[in-house]
Amino acid sequence: MIAVLGAKAVQDVVNAGRFGRFAWRSATTSARSCARRSTYPLIWTQMFIIGVHSVPVIMITGAFVGMTLAVQAYDQLAGMGLEEHLGVLINISVVKELGPVLAAVMLAGRIGGALTAELGTMNVTEQIDAVRSMGTDPVRYLVAPRLLACLLLTPVLTIFADLMGVVGGALVSFLQFGINSRAYWTFSASAVALWDVSVGIAKAFFFGGAIAIISCYKGFNCKEGAHGVGQACTEAFVASFISILALDFGLAVMFKAIYQVFWPIKSIVT
Amino acid sequence: MDGNGQKRDTDRGETIIEVRNLTKKFGAKLVLDKINLSIEKGKTTVVIGPSGCGKTVLIKHFIVLQRPTQGEVYFKGERVDNLAERQLNSVRTHFGYLFQEGALFDSMTIAENIMFPIRQHAKNRDWRQIEEVIKVKLAMVGLDGFQNYFPARLSGGQRKRAALARAIALNPEVILYDEPTTGLDPIRSDIISELIVKLAKELGVTSIVVTHDMKSAYKVANRIIMLHNGRIVADGNADHIRNHPHPVVQQFINGQVSEDDLAVLRMSGSVASSQFLPRDFEL
Repeated sequence: MIAVLGAKAVQDVVNAGRFGRFAWRSATTSARSCARRSTYPLIWTQMFIIGVHSVPVIMITGAFVGMTLAVQAYDQLAGMGLEEHLGVLINISVVKELGPVLAAVMLAGRIGGALTAELGTMNVTEQIDAVRSMGTDPVRYLVAPRLLACLLLTPVLTIFADLMGVVGGALVSFLQFGINSRAYWTFSASAVALWDVSVGIAKAFFFGGAIAIISCYKGFNCKEGAHGVGQACTEAFVASFISILALDFGLAVMFKAIYQVFWPIKSIVT
Repeated sequence: MDGNGQKRDTDRGETIIEVRNLTKKFGAKLVLDKINLSIEKGKTTVVIGPSGCGKTVLIKHFIVLQRPTQGEVYFKGERVDNLAERQLNSVRTHFGYLFQEGALFDSMTIAENIMFPIRQHAKNRDWRQIEEVIKVKLAMVGLDGFQNYFPARLSGGQRKRAALARAIALNPEVILYDEPTTGLDPIRSDIISELIVKLAKELGVTSIVVTHDMKSAYKVANRIIMLHNGRIVADGNADHIRNHPHPVVQQFINGQVSEDDLAVLRMSGSVASSQFLPRDFEL
């Protein structure tokens, strides 16, 4: 029993080390790729696949988040006579937390699954070995464009999700609950600062990086056969999902600390 | 000297690849056991042996797609197994590798597949010249006109030939063939064997062929090496292998099952019928 647990622990440490090395290599190779013009067409292709094709699902996700928040929060606020503050609750939640997190979860399913399946299939059919055998670094050719595209486009897609969340929440508030739109927007504008929007977008940058690196790693290391590829996709989604939530917590703590450091300075300046 | 202490019949020329005490383990499984081997420049060396004996693992070490557990790999006298991946990229451009299933990029056309190594490494990016190179390479394998086909639309033999065209795109000095005739009918197998001979003659390349197709091996080989249980048990030209006294070599080249294997089969058959099928079971 102890021997089995020990072996499992050792294997987990080895896997964590492998992942860490892969992540570091992917990050450094991607940074170098930014200076190589030959990589740009590959990045454009991935941006089209990752970004353009994801816009509709991301917008739908954002809209439903905003609409659901409006329905759920209205009764509590109306009970206290604060229904005109509904926009504050919806818009803060959407731009700071739910927009980035749910957009990232949607991307982990849509993009992460596709990346793992594509690279996993390439791995089991020796296409990644073929890239290496022709003197090309597969991390530079396959991982870097995908990582850069995810890093660049996840924040952009999050803006789409935020926008639709705000619109969806506002429409339900005005049309279903008859809240005064002028009051709704005034309270929202006074409560939601640029800082809140920036925090959400900054989070999305990290979520995009995590989705790309985890999905590519799982694809590069998937086991043989259709079952191996399927298992890798499942593992990639689960790992990405947990990473998004863990990163969300970590980044929330970090940004709060930064805010508390800089808030007094802002008060003095203004 | 081979595994049986017999002297090889091949004349030694200039060595292009050498492995010393090459050992490879996957976990506890020993796949290659202290292999010492030199590959001569310009010759065709065939590696034979039963499935799973480590033939593919051996040739993957030549191009350092696998790293040895112990031992050293040399290319043109330079040690390569300890190089970083970035340094290996330039070494690998001297090799062409034909993978067992072709490993063509299925999202690209045949022309784009052949263009891939050229665009990655060639300084000349003139489209017309690249198109001409693709045409020449495809003509060499008898596939000119298939430029715009996707790999999924080709037959197994055509895919292997297209993969071979990609493998020779950078005019390599060494071509590694991993089971080039596996899964093909006898005529397509013979076409591939003829191609290996033709490319060796026309391009003057060093060829290393992994196969268990003895007809193909005899046709293309200047030298045949047999692997068994991770070691070289026979090494010599076709006649040397045909007349080799080692029973494992004779069983392999004649396609005979050993008495031990037969005993295992008989044993497993009787166990299956006695334990897993009820007497009144009807199919």
